[in-house]
Amino acid sequence: MIRCIHWTKVEKFIGSLKFAVIIISIFSIFMIVGTFVESYNGTEFANRLIYKSWPFFLVQGCMLLSIIYATFLRLPYLKRLSGFYMIHAGLIILGMGSVITYYAGLDGTITLTPNHPVRTIDLPKQIIKISYIDKKEVIEYSLPYNAYSTDINQTYNNIKLKKYYPFSENKLIWTDIPTDFEVINSSSTQYLLYNKNIDQEFTLSLNKLATQFESSLRMGLLSIHYLPDEISNCITLNNKSKYIFWNIENNQCFTPESRKIDLQETTENKKFLVLKNNSKVLLFFPEFGPYPLDKDFNLIQNSSIRVLNIAPFEKDNHLFLFGKKMAYFKENKWSAYPLSIKSDAVLPWMNFKLKILKHSTTSYPELLPKYIVPTQEDGKLIKGQQQAIEIQIKEKTYWITNNNPLSVLINNEKVKIELTNKKIQLPFELSLSNFKMKQNPGTGTPASFESFVRLFDDSGSSKHHIFMNNPLKYDHYTFYQASYFKTRDGSYGSALSVNVDQGRVLKYLGCIFLVFGAMFHYYLKVQQKKRL
Amino acid sequence: MKSFIIMLFLFLATAQANEKHFCKPFIAKMPIQQNGRVKPVFVHASETIKFLTGKSKNNNMNAVENFCLLSLKSLGMSKNFDIDANIDHVKILKLLNMKEGDHKIPFSKLTSLQSTIRVAIVGQKENGPYKKALNKVYNKINIYNDIIMGNNWKVPYWNNEKMTWISFHEFTKEFSKTDSRFIEQKLSDLNQKYLTNINDAHLLEYNYAKSRLPMIALLLTLFCLAALIIKKDVTFGVLSLAVMVIIAQTIFITLRIIISGRAPITNMYETVLFSGYGSLVLAMIIGHLKKEKLFLFIGLSYNLCTLFMLNFSYGLISGSIGPLVPVLRDNFWLSTHVTCIILSYGALALSWVMANTVLIKNKINKITQKEINYYSEIIYTCLKYGVILLGAGIILGGVWADYSWGRFWGWDPKETWSLIVICLYVAILHGKYTSWIAPKRFVPLTALAFLGVMMAWFGVNYILASGLHSYGFQEGGAIFLGSFFSIQILIVLLTTKKLNIILNS
Repeated sequence: MIRCIHWTKVEKFIGSLKFAVIIISIFSIFMIVGTFVESYNGTEFANRLIYKSWPFFLVQGCMLLSIIYATFLRLPYLKRLSGFYMIHAGLIILGMGSVITYYAGLDGTITLTPNHPVRTIDLPKQIIKISYIDKKEVIEYSLPYNAYSTDINQTYNNIKLKKYYPFSENKLIWTDIPTDFEVINSSSTQYLLYNKNIDQEFTLSLNKLATQFESSLRMGLLSIHYLPDEISNCITLNNKSKYIFWNIENNQCFTPESRKIDLQETTENKKFLVLKNNSKVLLFFPEFGPYPLDKDFNLIQNSSIRVLNIAPFEKDNHLFLFGKKMAYFKENKWSAYPLSIKSDAVLPWMNFKLKILKHSTTSYPELLPKYIVPTQEDGKLIKGQQQAIEIQIKEKTYWITNNNPLSVLINNEKVKIELTNKKIQLPFELSLSNFKMKQNPGTGTPASFESFVRLFDDSGSSKHHIFMNNPLKYDHYTFYQASYFKTRDGSYGSALSVNVDQGRVLKYLGCIFLVFGAMFHYYLKVQQKKRL
Repeated sequence: MKSFIIMLFLFLATAQANEKHFCKPFIAKMPIQQNGRVKPVFVHASETIKFLTGKSKNNNMNAVENFCLLSLKSLGMSKNFDIDANIDHVKILKLLNMKEGDHKIPFSKLTSLQSTIRVAIVGQKENGPYKKALNKVYNKINIYNDIIMGNNWKVPYWNNEKMTWISFHEFTKEFSKTDSRFIEQKLSDLNQKYLTNINDAHLLEYNYAKSRLPMIALLLTLFCLAALIIKKDVTFGVLSLAVMVIIAQTIFITLRIIISGRAPITNMYETVLFSGYGSLVLAMIIGHLKKEKLFLFIGLSYNLCTLFMLNFSYGLISGSIGPLVPVLRDNFWLSTHVTCIILSYGALALSWVMANTVLIKNKINKITQKEINYYSEIIYTCLKYGVILLGAGIILGGVWADYSWGRFWGWDPKETWSLIVICLYVAILHGKYTSWIAPKRFVPLTALAFLGVMMAWFGVNYILASGLHSYGFQEGGAIFLGSFFSIQILIVLLTTKKLNIILNS
């Protein structure tokens, strides 16, 4: 009896106006936060953090409960409350429609390239797909729809899924070179190049373990080349021939002049150098490449000794970096200057200055994913676009991102592991015949996007025209013109959003109840007032 | 020497007069193609010169004359003529080495500093106010360069009897003569041929722009409001003036519909215009039905606010008619969904005007509980209309989104804020039914709730600036919105305390 009275009170409270005001206010606060989060961190982050999170679903559930109780508490039927019943019934039906859409609906994307039949739909849900290539076996694991880093700790055969980052960015990490790893060029350096307007960090490495880093790069008009420290001695000799021999096995260098090697010319005026290395005779044609020829004129690509022609680097803007030293050509000579972490070195171009941020010969740089709260600017994510997952196979740890799948051998079995979107197959195929983008006259701004598609199913093929405000409806699926892209051959491809919404009818019904309910509610009020 | 100086002066004066001669009145009416539309030079020149300099008149000449003389630079003429850019951002003034207090810089000088500005833009990692201001200046330089190169506007041209549009530069390239009178004659011929062979639809836009109907409507509204306050009754004169306001705005909106070929609710300028107009019509209808003159007062007051914005907030809302983004090219949904939403904003704005009037009136003269209840009923009526229209607008928007994008609801910021607004007002209305929100709290709450409308209407575009409703995003409104929010909160804080004390006593 006591318990019964208690529940009645709870029901009355849930159906009360006060509870309605409280829950509407909480719902509004969630939404206000959501719009700001979306503005600063992007739609996906806002969806994961707010709109598709369980606390927000709970608030919506409470609202639905409040509406249901508010309606039932005002039964049996009172004519003066007819409008109220209709409005609240409309809201309940609308809520039910939304629940059905959430659980049974489908919202994906189909990407069409010209004349290429496709039946695969990409869904927003992210999965880890493990494909055993030889066995043709595929395992899929749905990743949690969280906004922040999540520990998964699930194991499939020998693959352990560890950490999942829904938003990440590669960060530079310095890892110690394993003691058993023999390396000739172990040098890696991170630099900062800047002037009063621009600053740019870059990392160069000669270490074979630093697979994500190069030994040269181009920054605008400036070309940067990273070489072993020892080479700087030869470059700054400013020898007349402008050729330098470089032994990549011991990083030693010497000039033809120092070994009294004459620069000779063939009858066809091609320059060549003859180097006697131990018992071998090496013939270099420096104008054609760094590798020597043997006595039978065969190219020796594995030769440890190579020739470097520095004359071309005297034109344009070339900067040689040797870890803690730099050299450039100015006033008709190559000069070397020291670099350090503490002080800046001035470059002869656009008041640029250069300083070392980190230099190491005992560790190597690696780019590893780190969780980051995404940042949005002008409607586009500028930070945190990458998704990443850490996996462990036997004792080794790997990072897989949405852009970089992993192919490994596990117990002599070829395995491909991908971080990708879930895909489903349509019961028919679509092929893009043509994509048309009309432009506003005299401008490059789009006036309309139109996809001309051909649909293939068991009964044959049919032509369809999809454009903004004119979707294609077929077999419960609806295809909408969503986006377009340029393919490699220069033609246009089309992205269509695909939708199956079983809750649509209920949502429309709910809306009709709402509109007519509101009208009826105020009609009854006017009638009431007239009677008074 | 003296005679030489006089001769030189006369020569320069003649040359300038000759160049100015080119900018004859027919040029203002000439059709050009710009930004995907055919419009008269007058409209394009007025918008462009105002954007570049911040004002229509420069060098004691109107916008068309300024625009013409700048265009003549592409022919090597009007070399000494220039217009000044107005630089406001302190950091940009420093960057350009401008003197303290000097905000004007000739565009020819600014153009020479284009690379400095570009380098400064590239150097800014964060897309903050400085970078945005730099981008705006850079954009102005590009437009100025476009004009002086003769590439900013396209003139009609007949190629084998087929009409096409070519830039002014391409058009003049054909002639060996660069005499302004000769070019002027050729342009005049083209203008005549266009009027004879194509149409004269662009002349409607010329008359529309020349009519200055928003200013006329503003003055009429002011007179009407003053008459209503003085007479304290809806006399024949007051009603006649109100009807004249409606007529002026109806003509203006109708002309805009004919010119743009779509419902006049596709950018911030049009929504402000339509909400003021719609709320006045709504207020007059409700006022007539309820036989309550206060509705006319609040309708006129809100319309006055919107007309002030239309006439004097060029930097915030531009009246330029431009092409629509593809998804909005559906007149049925545009004229139903957006009209409902904007009308609802208008109706809710009426409640906001009334609430503030009550708060300020109470601050000046004490008002009784009876009066508070009476005014609350008027506010409640406005809210009723506003909430129903907003609800209908949201539902129509959902149906349109389902039809166009394949989802009924997508938590887009504009959608979400419209839902927040309806939730706020529904919470207030529910609270009014309970004892939670007494009339003394209902008035200031209604005034504050309108901040939600402002956030949905302007804030999403000016502060949040993301989402699918990207048709109306503009920059520079954060200060306006911040000021609006601050003033509204201040009014409530200053007036509510007194209201509570009086009512409690």
